[in-house]
Amino acid sequence: MIKVEKRSDVSRSIYFLTPVLAIFLTLFGGGIIFFILGFNPIEALKFFFITPISDLYGLSELLVKATPLCLIAIGLSFCFKSNNWNIGAEGQLIFGGIVGGGVALLFYNHDGFYVLPIIILSGAIGGMLFAMIPAILKTYFNTNEILVSLMLVYVAKLLLDYLVVGPWSNPEGFNFPETRQFSESARMPILFVGLRIHAGIFITLITVFLSWLILYKTYLGFQIKVSGLSLKTAKYAGFKGKTMIIIVFMISGACAGLAGVGEITGPIGQLHRNISPDYGFTAIIVAFLGRLNPIGIIFASLIVALTYLGAETAQIFLQVPKYTGQVFQGMILFFLLGSDYLLFFKIKFLGLKKNEL
Amino acid sequence: MNTKLKVSEISKIYPGCIANDKVSLEFGSGKIYALLGENGAGKSTLVKILSGVVKPDEGEVFLNDESIKLNSPLDAKKNNIGMVFQHFNLFETLSVFENLSIDSNKKDEELRALVNDILKKYNFKIDLDIPVLNLSAGQKQKVEIIRCLIRNPKVLIMDEPTSVLTEQETDDLFISLKQFSKDGILIIYITHKLKEVLSLCDEVAVMRKGKVVSVSNTIDEKIESLANKMVGENLNTIKKKINNFKKSEEILKISNLNFTSDDPYETNLNNLNLSLKKGECLGIAGISGNGQNELFQILSGEIITEGTSIMFRNKEIGKLNPKERREYLMAFSPEDRISQAAVPELKIYENVALNNFKSSNFFEKGLVNEKKIKEHSKKILSNFSVNTDNVELKSQFLSGGNLQKLIIGRELITSPELLVCFNPTWGLDVGAINYIHETLIQINEQGKSSILISTDNDELLKLSDRICVIYKGKLSKIMNADTVSAEKLGILMGGGSID
Repeated sequence: MIKVEKRSDVSRSIYFLTPVLAIFLTLFGGGIIFFILGFNPIEALKFFFITPISDLYGLSELLVKATPLCLIAIGLSFCFKSNNWNIGAEGQLIFGGIVGGGVALLFYNHDGFYVLPIIILSGAIGGMLFAMIPAILKTYFNTNEILVSLMLVYVAKLLLDYLVVGPWSNPEGFNFPETRQFSESARMPILFVGLRIHAGIFITLITVFLSWLILYKTYLGFQIKVSGLSLKTAKYAGFKGKTMIIIVFMISGACAGLAGVGEITGPIGQLHRNISPDYGFTAIIVAFLGRLNPIGIIFASLIVALTYLGAETAQIFLQVPKYTGQVFQGMILFFLLGSDYLLFFKIKFLGLKKNEL
Repeated sequence: MNTKLKVSEISKIYPGCIANDKVSLEFGSGKIYALLGENGAGKSTLVKILSGVVKPDEGEVFLNDESIKLNSPLDAKKNNIGMVFQHFNLFETLSVFENLSIDSNKKDEELRALVNDILKKYNFKIDLDIPVLNLSAGQKQKVEIIRCLIRNPKVLIMDEPTSVLTEQETDDLFISLKQFSKDGILIIYITHKLKEVLSLCDEVAVMRKGKVVSVSNTIDEKIESLANKMVGENLNTIKKKINNFKKSEEILKISNLNFTSDDPYETNLNNLNLSLKKGECLGIAGISGNGQNELFQILSGEIITEGTSIMFRNKEIGKLNPKERREYLMAFSPEDRISQAAVPELKIYENVALNNFKSSNFFEKGLVNEKKIKEHSKKILSNFSVNTDNVELKSQFLSGGNLQKLIIGRELITSPELLVCFNPTWGLDVGAINYIHETLIQINEQGKSSILISTDNDELLKLSDRICVIYKGKLSKIMNADTVSAEKLGILMGGGSID
């Protein structure tokens, strides 16, 4: 007989240590996969996790990748903490990119300090409005936000496709599916010459701080916390449930939109079909790996960003497809959920009792 | 074919409660047996033991004089014991026939022929090929019954089968059950509805607090006698001094309030009327599941109704949510203290902040005023003798009694004009119960009013000035508590009527 029981008390330190355990298990699992593929596991893991960040350029790339991941995950933590399952951050990112990119194209021959803030703001608003669609449908028509937000990702992707191929394609671009390059004043300032790391990182850090403030020091944060733990209590306390759903989706969408606009005005500099390597989906892993905690999410975003870089290095040096990165991301989530299960439940092996024989 | 079922000296002990205390009963085929008792009397536990869901700590079950082991629902099926639960176990999106074939090992054609025979024999009219979600509650129940009949059951157990049925469907069910009984199936019928026992069953066993208190033929029983046995006569005679409230001012008035729920397991409320005066305690009795939950939520504002249907201190509050109602000095203590009134994972002071209104200043300009909340919490802990002074403690570490003191304290420290509480002493030890009772009497003495929704009749008779009974979503006449006896309450709770 095997019996699964809920543990009565879970220590807080272990709660924050299990993500670390999950990462080690992922390394171990990854080593086994490389071994089966015929590589020396230690060597391969070194190519994957050490080589990419062994120089300044690599470190800068790490931050470039971590910036959007962290930003989106912070936004998602508002939704997830209050039991709203926004799976469509990728769509909100793309839509934010479309709106911000549209504004950038409007200003393509303008110069001025005001251009970039307007673009950034419009990107955030774009993501926010896009996230409000599943929120409003959920509150007023009882639709499932998981499905709606996920399906809207493909709407945003196809819209971007249409725009860069059709109306917004570069008139001097030989029919390549991309827009004009944005003007210099529409680009995020580069922090160091020769590296791609840009001012978007400050937006992320400010957002992290503001999120911490909202989640732990405000009435809104208190309401989010209570609703996440018990919807029945939230109702009994008289929190305005519908308004709160819309607010958390707005915050989440705005963060994803900011990430999108940060990408196109930062490393990319124009709109094309692939403005995001699924940052919006990967950020879900980041949010959970970081335990929905602002500080935790910073660390988690760095680790997950490393899997992106590692995959590129591994593709070059080991000739394995870059999708190995996604394998590693999948393993992190798998091991995290697995160890969480053991953290919250204990499995008891009971001997057969006499009367059962 | 004669079937004899015997349970012998069955005991089942849960932490803090003896659900079955040496229960011995005998049943024989050809009769319909009623198992009658209030909530928590132990009838469900006994039924779960018979259907293999729960294993008894002690005692044995005999089928035709042979001891049988019921370690799982599968064992019950093997021994031809069929069970229809109060909540249906059907796949809504599958067709009726698919639902039936899931746990049958017969070939489809064979099964269909068998089911058609059953339909014809008992005059059931159900289309086998439509999805279950299109069926009425009565038809779904028939599907569950057919599922049992396919296996040629010797024993059929029905657990509160009429709670989701209309009157007409109830009549149909009774006709079918009588037919099954004629065909030699032993029927055990679990209920707390007295009328049903008298109109359907041959023998009745009454359970109270885990024990069988009486077994008798229904011919020898009347509604009153059954009510007495079910509720028990061990009444606590210490009553609150009953006041005359004729002259005092009316504080709450509910007129012609109706509530219709979308959820078939919830109870609709019909034409509720009640009024409450300053300093008065109105008790609302009833067996749980008769609309108490819905009534509490209507009073607290979790369910919102028409504005005019509820007047509180001459203001229309029907449309206000719980937080807005608190601003008008109402307070609420729900039944579910662990997952509704408080959140176990939150610290004490965070749970205190749940009862927040403008003048409390817990949140200023949207920011948490932790200092203020903690001071306020400390005051509650000491004023209401909760056995800790650590406001940072997570609420899950408080015992039930201390948690309830914290909740009542949180609700009362703001001196509300009206406290609505629902089963405030459920599951508590005697000391905590006394404390809560004293507190509730005290607030009435201070001229504050209370509504006490409770399934504990002793408590109601002890604390209320006036009492009424809720049955199937309807309120009985409101009576002065000194004219009410436990017997009267029992009759009304079981759906009977008194002059």
